[in-house]
Amino acid sequence: MATEITSGLMALAAGAAIGVSAIAAAWAEKEIGVAAVGAMAEKEELFGKGLVLTVIPETIVIFGFVIAILILTLKY
Amino acid sequence: MLTPYQMSSVIITGPNNILETIIKELHNLKVLHIVEHSKNELADIGRPLDKAGELSDALVKIRALISTLNIKNEGEKIELKKDFLEIESTVKKLSQEVNSNLEDFKKVDDLISKSTAVKQELDILKHIDVPLEAFAHYKSLARFTGFVQDKNKAKSIQTELSRLSEKFILFDSPVKRKNFIALFVDSNIKEKVNGVLQKNGFSPVIFTAIGNLEGNTSNNLKKIEEETAKLHNEREKLRMRNESLTQEYKGFLLTAEELLSEQLEMAEAPLMFASTQRTFLIRGWIPTEDLHKSIDRLNKVGKGSVYIQFEPAKKKDKVPVKLKNPKIAKPFEFFLDLYSMPTYKEIDPTFFIFLTFPIFFGIMLGDIGYGLTSLIVFWLLKRKMPKARNFFNVLILASFVSTLFGLFFAEFFGFEIYHPVVGREHEIFKMLFIVLAIGAAHVNIGLIVGFVNIYKDHGLMAAVYEKASWIVLELGVATLALSYFKKIEIHPFVGAVFLLLSFLMLIKGEGIKGLIEFISMGIFTNILSYARLMAIGLSSVVLAVIINDSATEFFHRGGFFILIGVLILIVGHTINIMLGLLGSFLHSLRLHYVEFFSKFFHGSAKKYQPFGAVQE
Repeated sequence: MATEITSGLMALAAGAAIGVSAIAAAWAEKEIGVAAVGAMAEKEELFGKGLVLTVIPETIVIFGFVIAILILTLKY
Repeated sequence: MLTPYQMSSVIITGPNNILETIIKELHNLKVLHIVEHSKNELADIGRPLDKAGELSDALVKIRALISTLNIKNEGEKIELKKDFLEIESTVKKLSQEVNSNLEDFKKVDDLISKSTAVKQELDILKHIDVPLEAFAHYKSLARFTGFVQDKNKAKSIQTELSRLSEKFILFDSPVKRKNFIALFVDSNIKEKVNGVLQKNGFSPVIFTAIGNLEGNTSNNLKKIEEETAKLHNEREKLRMRNESLTQEYKGFLLTAEELLSEQLEMAEAPLMFASTQRTFLIRGWIPTEDLHKSIDRLNKVGKGSVYIQFEPAKKKDKVPVKLKNPKIAKPFEFFLDLYSMPTYKEIDPTFFIFLTFPIFFGIMLGDIGYGLTSLIVFWLLKRKMPKARNFFNVLILASFVSTLFGLFFAEFFGFEIYHPVVGREHEIFKMLFIVLAIGAAHVNIGLIVGFVNIYKDHGLMAAVYEKASWIVLELGVATLALSYFKKIEIHPFVGAVFLLLSFLMLIKGEGIKGLIEFISMGIFTNILSYARLMAIGLSSVVLAVIINDSATEFFHRGGFFILIGVLILIVGHTINIMLGLLGSFLHSLRLHYVEFFSKFFHGSAKKYQPFGAVQE
């Protein structure tokens, strides 16, 4: 029984790690993406720079993902 | 490779009477990137050639015709005599014809909309038998037309009105699920009648279009319908005439547009030159390998009265950049077009992108089936859209490498078909270490390129402080970590010394910015970012496996369910391929733009655009 609760909690924790970080990244990317599209409407050459700026917050999800995997592979 | 074409700056001067010949020759040569002159005390900008005005007038007309006739450029060209007067007169004639056509169109459209309005009104009025002249204005007669909810309402209006007066006539008839009424009353009791109507939920309709029509409604309706049909007929005829004009002059207009734009470009070129009353001066850049050939040709047409001065690019010049890469890496210049041109002095990263972009893409997509499918799709698309061939060449190469990685991972549409070298689905940690190692290598290549850039620009010590310091930092952290986990037997003190050393170098090299970068350890975030190579690959595999599993379940049930299973496979894998392609492309691109470029790239140079060459 104890094992089941532990593994359940671990699954939840892993889910939270990736879920919350994904929400955070999405939020940040939304703000930047809006500005980037606005800038691109004015000046098309800004696509590359706009893309770079938009995807910067994505790293947060990668961190969340790595943490999630670490949690799931923990030995208890 | 790695460095762009060598450029030489060129100054061409001569008397104004040979200006046109020189411009023509430069246009033919297609080698000179002109640097625009801005007006100063010494020299004004040049005046466009005399014919520029006529040319641009004609060009405006041609472009207007192309847009009104809705002509699409599908590469249809005809042979055209390059006589401007002939083109101009044809354009003028065509323009008049099309314009008068357009006016006729407008007239007919107006008439059609008018008769449609009349028809709509008659369509309502045909339900009651009242001659149309009754709807004109009379002094002693008030008229109400409109709708009430149903027959009962009409009846109750009738009874209420008969209490008021005898001087009224009420017509009513069901129209469009409601009840239409037309009421004629003595104008003295108009106000009271209005009250009665409002109480019964009357919504008025005003008939304006029937105006001064007379007589029986259905006769009028017939007449209007005939008229409308005639008008539509006329409109169709006009449309056919326009269509035949379009077909006849399509090739002419497109060719003339191209020809005249070219001539206008030449005629307006002096606006970019410096000029005095009698002389002109053109400044620009020519690739060094084309230099002597071009100068010879210019001297020949200039007949000795043109003077040309040239020298190789100097350190502080803003040189336009023409990238130089082997044919196979050339399509990858596309990524720099999207981002920014490297400056003349720095290393052109195209070749690095060519080496690593397909690998990153392949690691993420990494499936034999997906790789082959996208390979075929992109190959077909490339044949269909030859204009975007660079982009598709990149994708074709990337798909091919994905197939190779698919062999490595032993994946075919998510099925593991033999024992893989590395299994993406099971050996998650192994994959994570592999991609982080790739990341570390990639970031360090970036640092080395940055080192070379700074070394060329500011000397060895600056390069050591700014770029090598990061490598020392990495060494420090690595030694600390390895000794902490007891993988190597070195005193942690050694690692700490490395850290301190790199800290001091960064402060020396980049000042306060270095301090911030040291604290944030940006380089490790960068390396960790390569975990996406494994993460996106994993999500793609897991999705594929889920699709396969759910389809297999249906297959086991047999019969009709097999069809559903096939459907799941097709739809599921199509979506997964599209997601995989989008993800792999953008993330691979991002790893280059953010993690890799931030180590060395400055960019923002101008692209080399020779005068006269067609821009893609």
